[in-house]
Amino acid sequence: MRTLGKALTACVLVGTVIGIVACGSSSKSSSSASSGSSGSSSSSSGNTVDIYSSLPLQGASTAQTVPMVNGIKLALQQAGNKAGQWTVKYTSLDDSTAAAGKWDPGQTAADARKAASDTKAVYYVGEFNSGASEVSIPILNEAGLPQVSPANTYVGLTTNEPGSAPGEPQKYYPTGTRTYLRIVPRDSIQAASDLLAMKQAGCTKVAVANDKEAYGQGLAALIELEKANYGVNVVSNTGIDPTAPNFRSYADTVKGQGADCFFFAGIVSNGAVQITKDVHAALPTAKVFGGDGVCTDSYTSAKKGGVTASLYPLIQCTVATQKLTAYPGGKDFLAAYSKAYHTSSPDPYAIYGYEVMKLGLDTVAKLGAQGNSKSAVLKALFATTNRQSVLGTYGFDKNGDTTLKSYGLYKVDSSGEPVFFKTITPTKVL
Amino acid sequence: MPAVAVRPLAAIRKWIGRWGLIVALLALPVYYGIRDLVHGYSSGFVNGHAVINHDLTQLGFNLVSGVSNGSIWALIAMGYTLVYGIIELINFAHGDVFMIGSFVAVGIYASFGLTATTGAFGLIGGLLVTLIVSMLVCGSLNVLIERVAYRPLRGAPKLAPLITAVGFSFILQNVGLLWKGGSPVGVPDLINQNKTVFKISGVIIHRADVLAIAVTVPLVFALTWFIGRTRAGRAMRATAQDPEAARLMGINVNSTISLTFLLGGMLAGAAGLVYALYETNVWYFQGFEAGLIAFTAAVMGGIGNVRGAVLGGIIIGCIQQLSDSRLGPQWTPAVVFGYLILVMVLRPRGLLGEETREAG
Repeated sequence: MRTLGKALTACVLVGTVIGIVACGSSSKSSSSASSGSSGSSSSSSGNTVDIYSSLPLQGASTAQTVPMVNGIKLALQQAGNKAGQWTVKYTSLDDSTAAAGKWDPGQTAADARKAASDTKAVYYVGEFNSGASEVSIPILNEAGLPQVSPANTYVGLTTNEPGSAPGEPQKYYPTGTRTYLRIVPRDSIQAASDLLAMKQAGCTKVAVANDKEAYGQGLAALIELEKANYGVNVVSNTGIDPTAPNFRSYADTVKGQGADCFFFAGIVSNGAVQITKDVHAALPTAKVFGGDGVCTDSYTSAKKGGVTASLYPLIQCTVATQKLTAYPGGKDFLAAYSKAYHTSSPDPYAIYGYEVMKLGLDTVAKLGAQGNSKSAVLKALFATTNRQSVLGTYGFDKNGDTTLKSYGLYKVDSSGEPVFFKTITPTKVL
Repeated sequence: MPAVAVRPLAAIRKWIGRWGLIVALLALPVYYGIRDLVHGYSSGFVNGHAVINHDLTQLGFNLVSGVSNGSIWALIAMGYTLVYGIIELINFAHGDVFMIGSFVAVGIYASFGLTATTGAFGLIGGLLVTLIVSMLVCGSLNVLIERVAYRPLRGAPKLAPLITAVGFSFILQNVGLLWKGGSPVGVPDLINQNKTVFKISGVIIHRADVLAIAVTVPLVFALTWFIGRTRAGRAMRATAQDPEAARLMGINVNSTISLTFLLGGMLAGAAGLVYALYETNVWYFQGFEAGLIAFTAAVMGGIGNVRGAVLGGIIIGCIQQLSDSRLGPQWTPAVVFGYLILVMVLRPRGLLGEETREAG
């Protein structure tokens, strides 16, 4: 009987574990199927080019990246999976892991290596996080594969301007040739926009916290570097431990510094919600600001695991996206997106996913028979000027930075969703 | 000459042996207390000017937060110390049982529909039921782990159950990962944890502090009473001292060990609920850090010693708060483990002494 009891207990436990693992693996495979290959291979593989995207599809960033992938797929669908004479096979890769709940260096490198080893790959969309691009740019650079990020803002990826680290950006380009571009304005513009927004909101003492990643640390450094241009007093810039269960001591310190505004430079997965809650508890009237890393409902909405509702009137954040309906073709994009994904208010990043794919498809199409050449695509991308797009008219400079210079300032509505408030075009930028 | 030279050294050693630990433990609060009194601290700004106070209010606030935070570590540490005391096993899965306790608690009160706007009676009743269910689930889980992973290895080399404990820790972490994902998940602030309950000499006591202490203190007393006064508790102590002798005296050693795991798991379940309400977020990896801190607390207090685990938990809570507030959170792990090393060097058997077979 005792042996039977032991066996039964073991069976129950093993069954439970297997059941849970099975549930987990089934959800994993379904999620990878849904976000996986969306384009269809041509019957003649000789007419096919491959396009990859690498974005974090697990964790808090999915509030931004899933709409982005939807935007990518919408652009591809509208083009009939074609770029001129070429049939496009699109593969959505995930640079995050379930355990990390955000981008992971190993997974990012694996994604980049996969695309780099594909002889038919001509275009790589990614990464979402600047820290992840620090990993993937050198791998793709060695392979000569053009890479366009729809979200990176860290200055050091493309320039050696203030806010970058020593050796940047050369260390990311081992071949000496630039292979990376981005369609969002870099952080020197975002920091200036944030400072302008804080000045206009009446902030006199701003406490800045950063998540110590490339993006967060860089944006916080730029806030400090540019503060004099806008007459904003930054009382502290603290790198936090993103895994800390609470930030009450930090909040007390900030209170002692007399801060009336709080700025978080980082991504949602890195303790953004908890630190904002704790600062709000210590300073209930302090206004809260953030960059594009937190300007999403997984941060702003209590229903979606974000901050408490009492913070809604106090939050302002910046994203490169302006009012979608004000863009040329923005209304059409919204109508098509709403029809395809049944939502009338897509995350601001959806349009960047849409545009980054359209840019790739248009570039390949224009090249005609050369559309399957990585080097031709790269050259054509860097030669882009006055492109009429859903983001407005833009091109790229020699560093691969967009010529767009504006950020959108967002407030939070009563349902916790970030809503466009106004466009900010800073005049004083480092 | 040598005898003369040795004598002062021996006296210093003796003094350090007797008072060194107390001096070391009091060093941080005394130093910051004096600094606050002499140099003052900024408590905010009025009309653009810093308000500098010269009192012990900030230190008091640090210590209150430390005691309440330490109460959670104490609840977990008691589970470690109970199990180590009886089978001399570091139950690496214990921190993860605590994590499951948090997840269960959050799931239960969410299914009850408890929100910050629920009335006081509904909230207290709902949380009491949540506490009981969470304790029972974690207690049962701990018993199950003992039954499947440790009991079959009772006669095996000590390394074997250690490995199965690590294995179960990973299994539970993966369960948590599949359950709530890889990122910390915010949970509703049901008790409005930052609301002031009362003030003592300017030191604000928040609801979170009251909750942590109100759950921990009765459980510590109940456990102490159970171990000291009941037949089953005496059986636990007898088994801890000498399992063979206990068996010869008619004690069912296996049942006694299972009971120990049940109690440890129940305390972890209670800690899980308090943690979720206190921190207002839960994470699949929370058990790793909490387990490490709680085990440190158990060792600091004297492994196998329940009162030592409580004392260790509270001391570590206070050190953490002082370090977070005064030195910066980036230094806290180094400060906590620095203190552990100091305690071990000055008193190798912990603050209140080990209560294990090896220790006698």
